[in-house]
Amino acid sequence: MVLITQVIINGILLGTMYGIAAIGLSLVFGTMRIVFIAQGAVIVFFGYLCYWLFALLGMDPYLSLIIIIPVALLLGTAFYYVLFKEAAALKDRIGSLLIAVGLMFFLENFMTVVWSPNPRAVVTSYGFVVFQFFGIYLTLTRLIGLLLALLATLGVFLFLNKTLIGTAVRATSEDVEASTLMGINPNRVNAVAFAIGIGLSAVAGINLATTYSFDPVYGFDIAIKALVALTLGGIGTMYGALLGGIFLGIIETMGSYYVGAGWAQAIVFAVFLLTLTLRPYGIFGRASQKA
Amino acid sequence: MANQLLEVKKLEVSYGDIQVLWDVSLQVEEGTVVALVGANGAGKTTLLKTISGLLHVKKGEILFSGESLHNLKPQEIVDRGVIHVPEGRRLFASLTVIENLKLGAYLPRTRPLFAESLERVFSLFPVLKNRKDQKAGTLSGGEQQMLAIGRAVMARPKLMMLDEPSLGLSPILVKTIFGLLSTLNEQKTTILLVEQNVNQALKIAHQAYVLKTGKIVMCGKGCDLLLDEEVRKAYIGERVSKQKG
Amino acid sequence: MKNKSNFSEQSSPAKSSSGLFKSLMMSQYIRKHINIIIGALLVVVFGTIPLYINVDTSYFAYYLFICFVYIALSQGWNLVAGYTGQISLGGHAFFALGAYTTAIIWLHDLTKTWYYFDPVVMILSGLVPVIFAIIIGTPLLSRLRGDYFSFGTLAAAEVLRIVILKGGSFTQGAMGLRLPASSFSSMSPYYWTGFLLAIFATATVYLITRSRIGLALRALNEDEMSAASHGVHILFYKIFAFAVSAFLAGVCGSLFAYYLFIVSPLGIMNLNWMFYPILICVLGGNGTILGPIIGAFVVGAIFSYGDVFVGQIHPMLTGLLIILVMKFMPTGIMGLKDKIFTRR
Repeated sequence: MVLITQVIINGILLGTMYGIAAIGLSLVFGTMRIVFIAQGAVIVFFGYLCYWLFALLGMDPYLSLIIIIPVALLLGTAFYYVLFKEAAALKDRIGSLLIAVGLMFFLENFMTVVWSPNPRAVVTSYGFVVFQFFGIYLTLTRLIGLLLALLATLGVFLFLNKTLIGTAVRATSEDVEASTLMGINPNRVNAVAFAIGIGLSAVAGINLATTYSFDPVYGFDIAIKALVALTLGGIGTMYGALLGGIFLGIIETMGSYYVGAGWAQAIVFAVFLLTLTLRPYGIFGRASQKA
Repeated sequence: MANQLLEVKKLEVSYGDIQVLWDVSLQVEEGTVVALVGANGAGKTTLLKTISGLLHVKKGEILFSGESLHNLKPQEIVDRGVIHVPEGRRLFASLTVIENLKLGAYLPRTRPLFAESLERVFSLFPVLKNRKDQKAGTLSGGEQQMLAIGRAVMARPKLMMLDEPSLGLSPILVKTIFGLLSTLNEQKTTILLVEQNVNQALKIAHQAYVLKTGKIVMCGKGCDLLLDEEVRKAYIGERVSKQKG
Repeated sequence: MKNKSNFSEQSSPAKSSSGLFKSLMMSQYIRKHINIIIGALLVVVFGTIPLYINVDTSYFAYYLFICFVYIALSQGWNLVAGYTGQISLGGHAFFALGAYTTAIIWLHDLTKTWYYFDPVVMILSGLVPVIFAIIIGTPLLSRLRGDYFSFGTLAAAEVLRIVILKGGSFTQGAMGLRLPASSFSSMSPYYWTGFLLAIFATATVYLITRSRIGLALRALNEDEMSAASHGVHILFYKIFAFAVSAFLAGVCGSLFAYYLFIVSPLGIMNLNWMFYPILICVLGGNGTILGPIIGAFVVGAIFSYGDVFVGQIHPMLTGLLIILVMKFMPTGIMGLKDKIFTRR
């Protein structure tokens, strides 16, 4: 009994990482109808940034947030204006998907060439501290990771609901044309959405770097899982994306525990395919939500 | 010569290769209500969308307060005080009433007067005040139309353009809405009103145009047009044949 | 696939080339059959190349071989994109299935034939992916649109990857299957098989798209309402297109298995095999028959010769290239041709 709870708890912790990646995807997709499949590669990229700041400058990974988050916000804005602005305006779904794939290829190979395919991880001196609750073990890094994810989610939630720009983002997700009639500049809104999406990737990246070992091609795996999480949770709701991620995390850890890591992946994809065919709007999504 | 707030001159608009508006000219005098009537598919929505910048001008001119609106982005046109209340309301259903209104006052020039505008909207539409934290999608048809108009009021419009505000509303509600539009007009808002409900529209309009398959076929004082044989035959009293535009 | 080109401004009149060339181009007969004419020319050119170059030693022959394989793959992808209007991201699955089928049949001596470049094996390698295509394609094509469909194909392909990795002695997991390399004697059969495959793929796709079914489907793709009311018929033809692309990819996979002599997930189920056909079609110009051919030669050149000069960098180029193409040339090379030759 205790063991299963441990597995589930691990799944939840893993899942929050997928969850915040999925929220980022949801924001970008909601406003621009772009599937940013390069999300995973970007997360790994930030993982590397965190790693190098740690390895070369001895900077504590959580402290490096101070540098990495602003970089992420800038990078997200740049991505939008340089790569996706035209595709978003033309509502060119195929074009934007291909650009995202292109970016993914570029990033992954860039990282492989520049930083080598060897796996990396950020190992801090205090990282191994373990807490114990009722027989369940939680490492400090995972706890902090969970905390970060929750804080990031809260931050995004507050932004979307309590600020005017955030409200504009939500409005644009719903109806771009109507929002322009309010005087909302869709480019600004899109850039903001993108920036937040990449910002969330940065948080996920730091989470990744401190909790797991990673290599350049790990990104594709994460991207697919973020997509799965988003689909499971339903496009359009933020908490749906997070819960989708957690649900996915639990499936993955339980699958790993019972049938082994390899098959767990297959189970994840099978669940994904099942959801796609039976409930394409996800568990929490609305049927009216157009893809 | 009274001030022409909006001047449309020989406008031609196409959807891709299909031309929808031919040589359309009309004028909206400041402080008046101008009605644009016509059957389904005549091009009324197209005209409004072109004025508000959602569609491109192929040929012709649009002048607002003497300034050309040619190729301006929708946000820039809104900034000049041209507010378009689109067909079907196009409210943000998942946002609350108050959030919709806040977005109405999104532009920097409107924000300092936000509180005042909100007061005005709530006094015009008390029902919105009661429902201010409700999601817009849960409102009734009439309330939604009021919210749509209220949202436009928040933008402190010089010219308010409404696309078929009577759509889907009961006759009593239609009368209420049109009454409110009259009130707004008395409060110095110029209105360009696109309608299929010709009767009601012509009652409150000072000036009217009739649009048929992309061309202006008639224009005149609202009341006069109401009495005109042709208009009566074509649009009031007898069923209008639906043309696919 | 109709590409929404945003070029609404008037294109300048074509620069005055020689009058004869222009009048030739304008001649109705030529315009109507331009595709066939160019196709025939290409067939003649590449059919006679072995007379001038030594197929075994020339790097150019290797380059052409790669191009032929790309052409076959890309025509298949192009067919799906045009017929279903959707982006399939699972092409590498069909390719891999073909390769693995060949390898497994060979290693287990299943058909008692001669295996190396054995037509029976190659055709079987094309059919196995067809089965997969029908199984996966039916639910995906009937229920999913747009991005959802694309993810579905991607997920299905990844499931296949896991199955292969976990296939035990059957697939030898990550290490892959080794084929007897001693069978290799010369590049000739590769060149000719590739050539025939490219012709076959192009001709098949051409015939399908030119047929009544093809034209009707493309018209219906533009109008979803009509498509919905036709239901089952449409679905059948979409699955058919999907299956054809699977067949082509499978035979290509088989051919490549003969070339590499090792069939492993890393080499055969590489995402490149999913991505290159898409890049080729976009670069060459969507919705045309010649587009994938032009694209294949261009992309093939970049990656065969680029390999020689720049080596390790080239995978990054793939990504960069597609971004540049999508931003600056979304209608591809064929689209540019249209702009030059069209008077507005």
